[in-house]
Amino acid sequence: MRILLLLWSLGPMLWQLHTSLQPPESLVTPAGAPESAGWTLANYRLILSADPPFWRYLLNSTVVGAATTVLTLAIAVPCAYALQRRRGIVGMAATLLLLAAALFPTVLLFLALLELARGMGFANHLLALGLPYAALCLPLAVLLLRAAFADLPPELEDAARLEGLNLAQRLRHVLMPLIAPPLASTAILVFLFSWNEYPIALTWISRNDLLTLPTAMARIAGSSVYTVPYGALAAATVVGSVPLLLLMLVFQRRIVAGLTQGAIKG
Amino acid sequence: MSTDGLVLDGVSRRVGGRFLLRRLNLRVGAGECLALLGPSGCGKSTTLRLVAGLDPVSEGRILLGERDITGLPAGRRQVAMVFQSYALYPHLSVEGNLALGLRVRGVEAAERQRRIAAVLELLQLQELRERRPAELSGGQRQRVALARALLRQPRLVLLDEPMSNLDAQLREELRPELRRLLVGAEQPVLYVTHDQQEALGMADRIAVMEQGRLQQVGTPRQLYDDPANRFVAEFIGRPAINLLAADEPRQVVGVRPEHVRPEPAGALPARVERREWWGHQQLVWLETPRGRMRMLTPGDASLRESLHIGWSPERELRFAADSGERIP
Repeated sequence: MRILLLLWSLGPMLWQLHTSLQPPESLVTPAGAPESAGWTLANYRLILSADPPFWRYLLNSTVVGAATTVLTLAIAVPCAYALQRRRGIVGMAATLLLLAAALFPTVLLFLALLELARGMGFANHLLALGLPYAALCLPLAVLLLRAAFADLPPELEDAARLEGLNLAQRLRHVLMPLIAPPLASTAILVFLFSWNEYPIALTWISRNDLLTLPTAMARIAGSSVYTVPYGALAAATVVGSVPLLLLMLVFQRRIVAGLTQGAIKG
Repeated sequence: MSTDGLVLDGVSRRVGGRFLLRRLNLRVGAGECLALLGPSGCGKSTTLRLVAGLDPVSEGRILLGERDITGLPAGRRQVAMVFQSYALYPHLSVEGNLALGLRVRGVEAAERQRRIAAVLELLQLQELRERRPAELSGGQRQRVALARALLRQPRLVLLDEPMSNLDAQLREELRPELRRLLVGAEQPVLYVTHDQQEALGMADRIAVMEQGRLQQVGTPRQLYDDPANRFVAEFIGRPAINLLAADEPRQVVGVRPEHVRPEPAGALPARVERREWWGHQQLVWLETPRGRMRMLTPGDASLRESLHIGWSPERELRFAADSGERIP
């Protein structure tokens, strides 16, 4: 059963990896024709030597992802704290609004966002992309972190208050270290969102050297009218997923811990 | 009484129109330990939080050493508190727990080291200084919480059920220790508990509270001998006092089980229903014409199933049936 599940989720990825290592011709040769010999890195060479080279998109995505994550957390942590402290009608209303915002279909925003980008000169600025990304991530981030703050025993903060720690000191020395696991998992979720986001990046960024991974990949796919460069696309997918995979491996335990922590006492 | 102590002057706490605490007047002298005793929800923890500055006072004033601290933020009151859960910072070592407050207040490193070393020695925590709270036993955690409180050189110590997370034996062992460490220095100590034995053992005076109101303040002896009302009479003294219908209308008579004794025939007839043998004493449940009663007698007393009981009249406590007030 487990192996079946593993195959189910890993199968496509392994196939992608396999495809990326095939010489470009082998994919279009008819089935039954003699297999070409062995694996090749030709696809990787192709995308890395293109103009701009593929690692450029990787860098772009990383910059946007980092900016989004930092911005989101910088706003979400104080919000979540305040929301968790503020009980009663106001807190309830704010939480409900957040939930509504989290569930809002983002498709409806694209046109307006495009107008905004044009009007405020945000088009073709990588860091500006962090603004809508952070805005879209904030509701979920605030809700996750609010649950994390709610899990902390209130006496801890009382003790810190009595010891003379002001709000900033309490957050820095007591509360933030204690919510580190959910903080890390929230950060990763935000980073993932930004890494995978396609429509906004597509509408805001047009300059070739500023594309993020998803848009760059779409360009590869649509680069020719007559053929789809499966090999190159597969290679791009692999290169694009490796950093994420590494990130996940490093923080895996924290993500799981953080997610379940929020889930138990939501 | 010295003016260095803590004074609560008509202090109330109201939340949404409901009184959690109603016009409390209380005085704790320098070096005195006062226990706030009462069932849960009686306002004792509320009182502590008001004095600590963790919750705002709705009415009245709090004075510490003749200075009005009612509006002062918690961190500037020089008040230390030991929480029921101890509230140790889980991510810091014992030493880190002690150091954080000093560091934030800008105490220099050398001075910090000196004070931490002194308090670690006082509480015999030197070997545990590197440990995290999760690696400590309940008793050790309590000592660390105590160390953190003493380190502040507070002008007032507040203890919120500090023993309730410990097992009974440890509690008894720690009581004299806690008293030695806390009481007798200059600062007043306010001790919240729902356990009367703990209050009797720890405190110089006890304030009994119920439903946000102070019922009576006094030495343990005064509360026991001379309770102001039926609630105090029932709350202080174990096993609890017997309450019987009185001959006079609208009155209730209280007789403590330890004052009930077997009498020659002619007194109140009684039948033994059940016994609990405690070694040095036995508690006997009796069925009498005036209702069920409990009698505490020496463990070796031999009792017949049917007997007569009585008590000396001056042991009787009389209360008004409706208000519960004591009738002298």
